[in-house]
Amino acid sequence: MLRGRDVTFTYPRADAATVQGVSLSVTPGSLLAVAGPNGAGKTTLLRVLSGSLAPQEGEVMLDDRLLGDLDDRERARALAVVPQSESSPFPVTVREMVGMGRYAHLGPWQGVGSGDRAIVDAALERCSVGPLAGRQLGELSGGERQRARIARALAQEAPVLLLDEPTAGLDLRYRMELFHLLQELRADGLALLVVTHDLNLAARFADRLLLLDQGRERAGGAPHDVLLRETLEDVYEWPLRLVPHPGPGSDTGAPQTVPLRRDEM
Amino acid sequence: MSVQARTWRASSRVAVLALAVLIAGAVSLSLGASGLGPGDLWRALTGTADPATETILLRLRLPRAVLAALVGGALGLSGCTLQALLRNPLAEPYVLGVSGGAAVGAVCVFVSGLAVTLPWTLSLGAFLGAVAAMALVLAIASRASPGGMDTRVLILSGVIAGAFFNAIILLVLSLADLQSFRSAIFWMMGNLSAADWEAAAVLAVFLVPASVVVLSLARAFNLLSRGEEVAYYLGASVQRVKLTAYLAASLMVAASVAAVGVIGFVGLIVPHAVRLAWGNDHRLLLPASFLAGSAFLLLADTVARVVVAPAELPTGVVTAVAGVPFFVVLLMRGGRR
Repeated sequence: MLRGRDVTFTYPRADAATVQGVSLSVTPGSLLAVAGPNGAGKTTLLRVLSGSLAPQEGEVMLDDRLLGDLDDRERARALAVVPQSESSPFPVTVREMVGMGRYAHLGPWQGVGSGDRAIVDAALERCSVGPLAGRQLGELSGGERQRARIARALAQEAPVLLLDEPTAGLDLRYRMELFHLLQELRADGLALLVVTHDLNLAARFADRLLLLDQGRERAGGAPHDVLLRETLEDVYEWPLRLVPHPGPGSDTGAPQTVPLRRDEM
Repeated sequence: MSVQARTWRASSRVAVLALAVLIAGAVSLSLGASGLGPGDLWRALTGTADPATETILLRLRLPRAVLAALVGGALGLSGCTLQALLRNPLAEPYVLGVSGGAAVGAVCVFVSGLAVTLPWTLSLGAFLGAVAAMALVLAIASRASPGGMDTRVLILSGVIAGAFFNAIILLVLSLADLQSFRSAIFWMMGNLSAADWEAAAVLAVFLVPASVVVLSLARAFNLLSRGEEVAYYLGASVQRVKLTAYLAASLMVAASVAAVGVIGFVGLIVPHAVRLAWGNDHRLLLPASFLAGSAFLLLADTVARVVVAPAELPTGVVTAVAGVPFFVVLLMRGGRR
């Protein structure tokens, strides 16, 4: 379990804190979505929770230890992160990239064993990129590449997984597939946190939703408690309506956000 | 393909390159002003050759071949390392100003006349200049990026330091006498004509531990090539890896420049050729760059010795003239695939 308590982070030379007194917990078998407008501090919060930024106030605990007390390899075995984007001047194959997830489990001179290989294969299968294993990463579509990056995180075998806007730039089908994958991983018992702009999918797939506004928690809890018209209009500064998801399916009735046009105001 | 098959394939590629080094070494030993066959080499090694052959092989060609193999390996490996560290395919061993610092040291030794009276001071001056440059560039980069070494700042510091060293070199040379000027220019083109066992041994003392350190970072380099944030999330100790890679690569470059001057293009072209042919897994790429660099420099130095015999070309000129067209062909073939 990953917990942040009263976490505050201010960038050097910034006037105000980017994340201010935020508390949250990412628990096994549940999916926490973090939403909020651009610049609300979502990515910064994720970096603090992943240890890549150290909070000035508050603390981040991984189970019963301070995150900062873990060494780099220990941390990567306990906590996997899929950041927003990555690029490389040197092309690699999908299998090579997913294999990188085993780094924290291997010594510098240790060869990749059959156990590691089985874990990489399982991660490739899990994310439906097995048939693409031999392809160059750059040849994949955006949705396939995103799944390959999640496969790499799964190869880390960490019980906690954080994802930063994994559906950005993906089409309807890939977005749905990705959230279904997250749902399966949750059913496997992973503790999941996903930063997303997609309020409608968050309302249907997340157990809990944390709405950030200007670095602070504006609302938190079950999606239908957080997704209220007054709150969202205030946070996003845009008029909108909430309609229940028409169904069919188990998520029938989940609040779906429909922003209005200017001439409808 | 299974893990075993992939491991076997990587091992066999390394073995092929090791064989290539041996063949290049044999070619280098048999070609020269006096042609010698494998039989002569065998007799020289077993002490049954005539004294002239023995001298040519064991005191002239063999130490020179060993030095060429070590320098070529050092340049290939350090070039590959700096490309990984800086995440820049254009990086090469001299990009961070180490060679410039070495050249300032060497030029000062030439101009002061020490190079004539005490020849060994040339390597020492070059080495001290290189190490000073390495420390200076690191100091600038560390001060300019307080949150940990920023590789963009590092490359900028290196390039700026290199430009400054070039200005110093031109300044000193503009005041030098003609003989020092000529010797210094010749040194800067890089050549192995002064090779002896001592130079090879001194280089090996630096190269062996630095190579082991760099090879141990192969997996971390794979991670680093995906970006520092990704590498961190996957468990790499990013700052430590970067600092270690910088120090080890710079030390290799410093030692090889001190031994033979500035031999260009090997450290840029060799890692690229290997990348184009066999991909970007540093577990194969690093040892392959070392061996391919060794074989390439052995052949280039043989050409330098042979084509205008009994005179010699600077080896650095041969590496550029032969290496660039070879690389262009490789690049175009890669582009078609």
